[in-house]
Amino acid sequence: MKHKRQNTVGIVLFLLPALFLFIVFFVFPIFFVGIMSLFDWNGITDAGFAGLQNYAKIFSDKVFWRSLRNNVIWALSACFIQVPLALLMALILSKKPKFWKFFRTVYFLPQVISGIAIATLWSAVYNSEFGLLNGILRAVGLGDQAKNWLGNPSTAFICVLIYGLFYIGYYMVIMMAGITGIDQTYYEAARIDGANVFQTDIHITIPLIKYSLSTCVTLAAVFGLRTFEQVYLLTNGGPANRTSVLVLYLYNQMRNNNYGGANASSVMLILTGALVIVCIRKMFSSRDE
Amino acid sequence: MVKTAKKNKIHEQLTPKTVVIKIAKWFLILFFGIYTLFPLVWLFVTSLKTNAEYFDNPFSLPAVIQFQNYVNAFSQANLGRMIINSITVSVIATFINIMAAAMASYAISRFQFKGKEAIFAMFSAGVMVPLNALMVPYFTIFSRAGLLDSLNSLRILYAAIGLPMSVFIVRGFMDSFPREIEEAAYVDGCGFYGRFLRIVLPLTKTGLVTAATFQFLTCWNEFVYANLLTSSPATKTIQIGIRYFTNQFTTDYVSMYAAIVIAIIPSIIGYMLFQEQIISGLTSGAVKG
Repeated sequence: MKHKRQNTVGIVLFLLPALFLFIVFFVFPIFFVGIMSLFDWNGITDAGFAGLQNYAKIFSDKVFWRSLRNNVIWALSACFIQVPLALLMALILSKKPKFWKFFRTVYFLPQVISGIAIATLWSAVYNSEFGLLNGILRAVGLGDQAKNWLGNPSTAFICVLIYGLFYIGYYMVIMMAGITGIDQTYYEAARIDGANVFQTDIHITIPLIKYSLSTCVTLAAVFGLRTFEQVYLLTNGGPANRTSVLVLYLYNQMRNNNYGGANASSVMLILTGALVIVCIRKMFSSRDE
Repeated sequence: MVKTAKKNKIHEQLTPKTVVIKIAKWFLILFFGIYTLFPLVWLFVTSLKTNAEYFDNPFSLPAVIQFQNYVNAFSQANLGRMIINSITVSVIATFINIMAAAMASYAISRFQFKGKEAIFAMFSAGVMVPLNALMVPYFTIFSRAGLLDSLNSLRILYAAIGLPMSVFIVRGFMDSFPREIEEAAYVDGCGFYGRFLRIVLPLTKTGLVTAATFQFLTCWNEFVYANLLTSSPATKTIQIGIRYFTNQFTTDYVSMYAAIVIAIIPSIIGYMLFQEQIISGLTSGAVKG
């Protein structure tokens, strides 16, 4: 009976569409950038083997290092500012204060709006002539601080980066789900022992949502490394490549028909991402012992 | 909801310390709420003013509500076309994605075969792949296939990039109901395909809706690949449109804001309708993983 139920042809047929899409758009492209990063290629004429020359070229390019540095700053600030803020708000909202569902809905809202729309909204906030930010500064008497936020080399990067750090809904919702899953008896025991809210948060809640926390940190780092839309729309990397990030760097290489360089940048991006994921996994699992 | 939460709380005394904590807590809750909502509300209010009113004072309310801005946005930016493009791309990509995910999940969840967990692990790992780094291979695939500047390229690509998430969500739902349900159908002579269509799919409806909502939002909001793979006005999606509003309405700020409002309204309506699915989909994907 078991054999008949086990329809091998059916299983293979049913796996095929998903496997086909996955192999064409996930597996093949990764091998493709890996191999083609060793070729000198403009996307049109035949590619010629170039060894590690593409890598040598991007490594000697200051803009590449600037982009990588910006990505690392982006990932780190997401991990060490955005995720902790989200954790704090998850701890507060999971005690179900008044209107907590309303606030959860509001905090999550930026997540359903496209990154490009949010970036456009912020370009209106930062606009040097009629922007919201300069308007607020003038209204509170700090008009002399008003400036061209995105055109100024010393403020451009921080402006592009910072607004997203306070959109905490995504990570907060993940951690709230983790907190909901905690067995209530832990809290009752702690209460009997006389622990206050802070002590239970620090000694019970946070250790028990370690898995959600590590998921959030990983996602924050990965998203920090693949960021593109905000920079592309707000500054397009300027002024003077100050705000460039790796995806923008590889996009520009591609537009200049330097496909080899673009592929080498992709490989660097994928490797950095993999390295970061491994480090975070290690960090969170070593705390077990 | 509020009542039961209150009952569970132990009676709190009003000491200076608890008052300070309460103030700090509400300060944080309101800060993140205002931070998220204020720019959006400001954008909406501004989109109803005249340009003269906006330049004069960015915070004033409109003297007369200017629906004309929305009419301008629709006629000048060719918004209707973009919205239709976004809808057809998102609907078709979501349909392909959910069918492929449901079929693969059925095979993985309801049958035993060699390597099934390896296949599932491979799909799940796809979430971590930095897709933005794969611009060159995607561009090459679609240019070889003759699908550049065609909405079909977006339909196929979007169906693929959402697969890891969808397989994850749908499999989770399929795992949650017992085998005995199909057993009876099997005894009645219902085959591999019949059980899928008549039993498993209807029972997994909630999971399919959750995954579909998530997938639809991903498609609707996608920018990077729409920007890379399409170029002519006939193939612009709404996100690409937003990018060009800034050029189209160089001096007509209020119409640009109206266009952005139109572009984000579908996301907000979808969020209102499917909030529970979006949040549960996100957490099932991120917490159990």
